[in-house]
Amino acid sequence: MSQSLEPSRFMVALHALPSVLLQSAFFIVPLCMTIALSFQETEFYRVQWVWSLETWTDVFTTRYYWSILWNTILMAIACVIVCAVIGFPVAYALVTRFKRWQTTIKILLVFAFLTDAVLKTFGWVVFLDQTGPANYILSWLGLPSLPDWVLYSKFSALLGMVYTLLPFSIFTIFLSVDMIDRSLLRAAYDCGAGKFRAFWEVTLPLSKSGLMAGALLVFVLSLGSFLEPKVLGGGKNPMAAELIRQTFETRINWPLGSALTIVVISITVITILLASRLLDLRQRGQT
Amino acid sequence: MRGIHVSADISTNDICTIDGVIKNYGNFRALHGINLTVKEGEFVALVGPSGSGKSTLLQVISGFEAATEGTLIIDGEDMTGVAPADRPTSMVFQKLALFPHKTIAENIGFPLKLRKVPKAEIERRTLDMIALMQLKPEYLTRYPAQLSGGEQQRVALARSMISHPKLLLLDEPLSALDVKLKKVLQAELKRLHRSLGVTFIHVTHDLEEAMMLADHICVMKDGLLLQLGTPDDIYYRPTHKFVAEFIGETNLFPVSVENNGYVATDMAGIQGHSSFGPEVAVHPQAYLMVRPEFVHMVGAGEELDVTLGVIVSETFNRGSTTQVKAVTKDGGHLMTLEIQGHIDAQIIVGAEIRVGWRDEDTHLFDRTTDTFQAAS
Repeated sequence: MSQSLEPSRFMVALHALPSVLLQSAFFIVPLCMTIALSFQETEFYRVQWVWSLETWTDVFTTRYYWSILWNTILMAIACVIVCAVIGFPVAYALVTRFKRWQTTIKILLVFAFLTDAVLKTFGWVVFLDQTGPANYILSWLGLPSLPDWVLYSKFSALLGMVYTLLPFSIFTIFLSVDMIDRSLLRAAYDCGAGKFRAFWEVTLPLSKSGLMAGALLVFVLSLGSFLEPKVLGGGKNPMAAELIRQTFETRINWPLGSALTIVVISITVITILLASRLLDLRQRGQT
Repeated sequence: MRGIHVSADISTNDICTIDGVIKNYGNFRALHGINLTVKEGEFVALVGPSGSGKSTLLQVISGFEAATEGTLIIDGEDMTGVAPADRPTSMVFQKLALFPHKTIAENIGFPLKLRKVPKAEIERRTLDMIALMQLKPEYLTRYPAQLSGGEQQRVALARSMISHPKLLLLDEPLSALDVKLKKVLQAELKRLHRSLGVTFIHVTHDLEEAMMLADHICVMKDGLLLQLGTPDDIYYRPTHKFVAEFIGETNLFPVSVENNGYVATDMAGIQGHSSFGPEVAVHPQAYLMVRPEFVHMVGAGEELDVTLGVIVSETFNRGSTTQVKAVTKDGGHLMTLEIQGHIDAQIIVGAEIRVGWRDEDTHLFDRTTDTFQAAS
């Protein structure tokens, strides 16, 4: 019998089996169940297996859900903008100014990833509290204390989200800025560009892919933000994830929760598709 | 003068004067007081092994590095404190440094865009450059990554020359290319230099390239300028043993110089009359240099200034020439001969042949300082 180096189809299938099983059990099956659930009705806190469009009609006619979704998207966009505005200079400085401490700073950033989000979020509550360190530092600096609306507001929710998601933004931008060939900047100077012009014409456009990737990551993760709006936002401006949690847990309306989940997933998928298409179009000419 | 060297018309205006330039990096001195004057329209090659300071010197001229000491004058103006952007120089980078996100037209026109030249003029001059570089006009809307290595090279040259620099600085731009493409672009560079009349300063570690292209070659080593001269000077009249060995192959024999002649110190059979005249100092420790092409095969009964019998140890067919490696009869010294065309069939490894050279084709170096003995 001749032995072929090419693995047989059976062997390929066998090797793929664990992954296929895992993906189906923990991803595809739940997703299908969610979709199926959204077409059921609920009565006296119990799911009625009746196959109807009632839940979806409810979703599309209730303004409240859409205002929360809209609020979620706005918060996510705000988070993306703030993360990019803070992340870009930080990443840029890491590449250009702090080369010597790069490793240390990167390790610290990884620690930021590793620290539990619950801990960090409650940390902010303590920090921003009227009797907390924030006001103590402000008064020590001779500055007026924080107004009492700051904690438990959209502002703090955004602060918490930015704090959690900023490392994603910094890392992706860092990678793209670090990849820029330094001789390109020299070439720009040699062509007659000043520092600002060289940045505008060379560094910024070449960091676009990192900025876009970072923005996409932050946007998608923001859409799912749950802890920060709840803890730091004080539950006054619920975002989509909190609405879904409430629908499942408090209202015990699983079909509605499932439908809302699908809406959020759809927004995420559409965003990713649009962004990858944009990036693809941009890069098609250059590679 | 041996060989024919045609140089472009060179005016007498100095375009670039480097005076006592020293460059320190911390405790390391990369340039030890370089003096160099480049005339307008010249093609000058800076040659040397890596670490010789040739690239550093180019960086100082371009303005990317500031000289620690000394002055640099370009086109009559002191360049101290002048940024690269404001110098009348333009650089072609080793890695080309074409902007990957800009089209070819945007790349070439970039220096003009920065100088706020009207759009129509940028377009016209970009087209001129495209024609000069023999690039296809349809490339204008493409991106650098869509072009071949040679085409990218032409684009980089076009970008460097569109703003009419006084001094074009080339930082080993051909070093990454394959041999065939390199040859094509070397010819191209020479053509461009001739047709544009711009002064070129070309850094390379490839001596053959420097010999082919340049009007003048500066050989550098360890931050020092060892010799500045025409390719013929460098090849036939090196002033330093390093230059002699760096360029092409050469034979160096240890000799002692006595009154009106030299003898090989530990080599049987070499005794020559000195044709260098009385200015050659009597020196017990010297090197005699003979280029392989000046070591001739000598027929029976024929005598050159120096004639000796050697044994062939290896032959290399190089197409138009044949290189013969031979050992002196006492086995003490290896020498290299280069013979035009093919050699006799009986010249095989182990055969004894008579070789010799004329004294006027030789050169002497001080063995202790490695410098040329006499100013001839």
